[in-house]
This record gives sequence, C-alpha cells and structure tokens, in this order.
Amino acid sequence: MTGWLTPAELSIVALSMKVSVAAVALTLPLAYALAWLLARRCFPGRLLLDALVHLPLVLPPVVTGWLLLLLFGRAGPVGGWLEEQFGIVLVFRWTGAALAAAVMALPLMVRAMRLSIEAVDRRLVEAARTLGARPWRAFLTITLPLSAPGIAAGAMLGFARSLGEFGATITFASNIAGETRTLPLAIYSGLQLPGAESLVARLSVISIVLSLAALVVSELLVRRSGGGRAHVL
Amino acid sequence: MSFEVSLHHRVGECRIDLAFVSQASLTALVGPSGAGKTTVLNCIAGLVRPERGRIAVGEAVLFDSNSGKHLAPERRRAGYVFQDARLFPHKRVDANLRYGERIAPRAERWIGYDEVVEFLGIDHLLGRWPANLSGGEVRRVAIGRALLSAPRFLLLDEPFASLDPARGEALMELVERIRDRLGIPILLVSHDRDEVDRLAGQVVTLG
Amino acid sequence: MTKTYFALLRLLPAVLLPLLAACGGTDRSERGPMVLAAASLQESLEDAAAAWTARGRAAPVLSFAATSALARQVEQGAPADLFISADEEWMDILAGQGLLRAGTRRDLLGNRLVLVAKRGSEVRSLAALGDRRLALADPAAVPAGKYARAALESLGEWQAVESRIAPAENVRAALALVERGEAPLGIVYATDALASSEVEVVRELPAASHPPIRYPAAVLAGSKHPESAAFLEFLSSAEARRVFLRHGFGPPP
Repeated sequence: MTGWLTPAELSIVALSMKVSVAAVALTLPLAYALAWLLARRCFPGRLLLDALVHLPLVLPPVVTGWLLLLLFGRAGPVGGWLEEQFGIVLVFRWTGAALAAAVMALPLMVRAMRLSIEAVDRRLVEAARTLGARPWRAFLTITLPLSAPGIAAGAMLGFARSLGEFGATITFASNIAGETRTLPLAIYSGLQLPGAESLVARLSVISIVLSLAALVVSELLVRRSGGGRAHVL
Repeated sequence: MSFEVSLHHRVGECRIDLAFVSQASLTALVGPSGAGKTTVLNCIAGLVRPERGRIAVGEAVLFDSNSGKHLAPERRRAGYVFQDARLFPHKRVDANLRYGERIAPRAERWIGYDEVVEFLGIDHLLGRWPANLSGGEVRRVAIGRALLSAPRFLLLDEPFASLDPARGEALMELVERIRDRLGIPILLVSHDRDEVDRLAGQVVTLG
Repeated sequence: MTKTYFALLRLLPAVLLPLLAACGGTDRSERGPMVLAAASLQESLEDAAAAWTARGRAAPVLSFAATSALARQVEQGAPADLFISADEEWMDILAGQGLLRAGTRRDLLGNRLVLVAKRGSEVRSLAALGDRRLALADPAAVPAGKYARAALESLGEWQAVESRIAPAENVRAALALVERGEAPLGIVYATDALASSEVEVVRELPAASHPPIRYPAAVLAGSKHPESAAFLEFLSSAEARRVFLRHGFGPPP
C-alpha cells in the first residue's frame, strides 16, 4: 500500500486517522453519558435533548459547520474565550477538524450506545442493589460491562462517520493541507485540479475501503452483543 | 427476629392490603396468582415504595410512611432470591457468588464462601457461566449469592417453581437446613400449599 | 389494506404529473441563458443582467463559483450557455477540448489584486502575520489564488508565507475569512474589497507582479438558448461596461 501512494497522500490518510481517532476518543464519554441519560432517566426536556443530539444527523452539514463557526470561531463566545484563556484556536487546525467530525459523529454514537444500555435488563441492576451495591457501583459492575459491545460498536460507527466528514469540516476548519485536509477534503481539492484523476481515484478507493471496514467491524460487534448475554437467564 | 409488615399499595388494577407480624424462622406468604406476592417482596427489599405502611425486620425499620423513612435497597441487607434468579450473565458462578460478599463489610459477614459452597453442593459449578447451568443449579447459586451478601433476612420468591420433583425435593431439604441451621428469618412466597405446610412456621395469606 | 393501496395509487398521477411537467416541460425561452461566472463577478453581473432584463428580455440564470469548479462542471457536460472565467488558462483548457462555440470568445474585463485586512485590525502587513494565516483563493486551481501566488513570488514574499496560507474555495470565501476575523489578512480582487464594507485595502499589488488579470467570456459549444450570443454581445457593450466600472472593474488589459 505504501508503494502505491505518494508520501503526500500517505500523510493525508494519516491526518484523517488522527482526526477521526481524536474525534471519537474525546466524544466517547459524552456520548455514553447522553445515551445513559436518554435510556434510563425521565426528566423534563428529555425529548428536546434527544432532538438536539440527533440534530447533526439531519441538519445540512454546512449549517452545522456554520453554527460551529458562530460558537467556536475567533469571534465566537466559546472560541474567543478559548483563545483568550488558553491560546487555543480551532479554525485552521486539526483540532477544529476533529471537533467538526465529533459533532457529526455524536448522534450515531449515542444511538448505538443507547440501544445497548436499554438492552441491559434493569432487573439485573435491581439484583445488584439488593446485594448491597450502591447505584454507582451497580452501574460500573453491571450496566457498563453489559453495554460494552454497544460502546465499541458506537465508536466504530462514529469513526466511520468521522472519516467521511466533509461539509462541517470545510465550513468550520477550512481546507488547510496538513492540518484539516482530511481524505474527503483532499478528494474534493483534487477534483478542482485539471489532471488529478488518478489522485482522486486512489484516495477514493482508500476512503471506501476504510469506511467499509469500519462498518463491518461495527456490525460484527453489534451481533456479538446480541447473543442474549445482556439478558436475565 | 421478626417480620413486622403493614403495607397498602396499588399496582395497576391490583390493590394490596397486608398486615402481619411473624416470629417464625420461616414465614410463608401465599395467595392466588396475581395477588401481588412478588410486589410485597419488592416492597420489603426496597425496590418498590408502597403508598402507605411500615416495614420492620428485627429492630431495623426499613420503611415508614409516617416518618417518611424509606431505606435504599443496598442498605436493607435483604438476601433476595428472585423468581427468575437474575444471575449476572457476564460473570462466572464464583464471581456471582462473591458479588455481594465483596461489598459487605467484613464484620457483618456471618458465613464463609467455602461453607456456603459446601452447604449448597455447588463446588463443581464454580468455573461455569450461568448460561450453562440447569434450572436447579441456577437456583442454588442464586441462594448462595444471597447468603454471602451478609443478609439479615432472606426473601425467597417461588424457589421451587418449575423444578422437577427430584430437584424440587433436594431444594426443599436445602431450605429446611437453612431454616434450621443458619438462624436468619426467611420470608417465602409460594402458591403451593404442600410446600408451605411443610416448611412454614407461620402462613400469611394475601388476596 | 388493499383499499388504501388503491387510494394511494389514484393519488400518484396527481403527484407525479406536476413533477414531470416541471422537469422537461419548461420552455427554455421562458428563462434567459444559463451563465456560469467567476465568483468575483457576483454583484456586477447581477446588475448587468438586471439591465438586460429591464429591456424586456428573459432573465438570465446566473451561477457563481470558483472558475475552476465551474470549468470542471462544463467539462462534465453541464447544460450551460455562457462561461465567464477569471483567467485565460481555464478558458484555454475548455477551448482545447472543443467546448467553446467558435468565434464567440472575447476578453470582457480587467481587475487588480489587493491585500486586505478587517477594518480596525492591527495586522497590516505580511511581516506582521506572525503565526496567523493569510487567506486567499486556492492557489493550486482558482485564478485569484494563482494571481496572488504569482504576485508574491515575483515580489519575493511567497516563501515567507507559503506555509501560513488558508486556501479558500473561491475568492469570496477568502474575503469572508478576513471579514470574520479568522484570517487577519487576505489577497482578493480590488472589486471584492469594494463590495465588502468590513475590510479595507492595506496595499495594492502592482499589476506588473502578476500575469494580467483578464476575464475571458464565451458561448459554450453545447448552448441551445437562442439569446446566448445576444447576451454576450450585451455584456461587451458600453452600457454593461458602465455597470462593471461602477463595481470597480477595469477594461481588459
């Protein structure tokens, strides 16, 4: 594979992996927390939270990117504060691309994890409570391990989505080679150049292969967890 | 040690109105299907909060609607053996047994792991996954798990249901031994009059 | 079940017919020619088209994007009538593929290149850029970016900023980056700076430092609209020229 790609192309793939791994790793705890809240807790505004979480799934990615700009751009409330306090700038940086990818991947991750949490039989948690486990301990020893395949499946799905993220990334983080020019953006840039057909073809093949692999792994994980192990016997 | 229970609770169509005091080493709660016997156990275990009433075991008041007291399940020290056993599918038998033991403070543990394993005859099952156990074996492990959690009393929900006669008999002898040798009060739910007559020192009827 | 099925089936024509009518049935002469134009022409071309429509002609359909993106669309067979490019190279590429109608190509306009900053910004020269970025249209493909790079190279300033550029999709996107404050400086056309109230010109890049900025225009070979040639004639006329001049364009060099 390395002989087939130029060093520049390899670095694009590497950047894409870096951005996607960061996006998923940072979003994982938040996604699980949201999934648990939506699965296990009733509270006013729950429907609204559910809708908000799913918004990036249905909103045009460009709109999501624009909203990110409003919030996290240098002139935005969060972005301005980050720059002032910590010197952190997200636009034009790979961290901005990771944020865009994370926002787009969040709904998919929450969905997968929520399903697996809901599949954990509450009666098992009840049993743990009667055996002396406080709610937090019952969660760590029963709910978390039993929903673990769902966490892994959600992470893979989020990773696949991050790899393919384009609209929000290019709108928010821009198209900077080496920083935010991930696989999809590189393919797009290639399309603008005359005579870049073979570059576009190679990068597209990689994109397809990576996404397919991630999807297959995610599906396998879901199937593994569906073996009834989360249920009362 | 005694059970002092009075509770009033509505679950859908079903109204539960119960009051009893029992000093027997094994008290049976009987009644027709759907009368709410399992709900009563859930109330005593703290999984359900009754509308009104008072529940005390020994000197510990677990629930009192007058004072607003409602102890969380993990603080009631009830050894609850569920009708559906509820063994943790992701842990082997020995990990299931030790689950409650690990949490209980050392000073409160009144029976040891090896003793329970021998008492219940489950030595050969320790490395197995719950999915690979028979119905009778599952029940035994569930009882063992409850015993090891340093309970102050036991709640058994239809422990002999759907067991073949041989296994049912073996389990009944086991419950008798627990009643006679281990010295903690047992509240047992059953719809079978024969079982009840044999085991119970006092019978409470519901519904 | 079958009752609802048949009821829905009866609805189908009512839904499909208007759709079909909208697809093929529109008489092309009801709307004006389809024009693909460089992003920097946005306001000026809209005004020129309005002047054309005021004469009682059908309103042209205008599509603005980076010249490179539009040229790619023409290559792929986009059903357009006119193409106005921001540099000669892209027009040459299309001509080489036989995609232009013979004899219709001409140079329409000229422009200048400027360095802009957000109004009130402290950063007013490339030297003061620091670790922030210079916004320009993608120098690999978009004319405005190519001109900018050529200018900086000939002025000996390209090497210093090469790793600090923010390549944008088109020159207007580069302008937007400066307006938003994400990039402190940008290189855009003088006409873009004029069109924006939030940026100011801090330096004009000398015309000698880059290839002359020309806007060639032509009717596309696949054009079927009867008014294509006439509209192009109009754009070359004195009246249209006045409109473009108002927006800061110059005559073709």
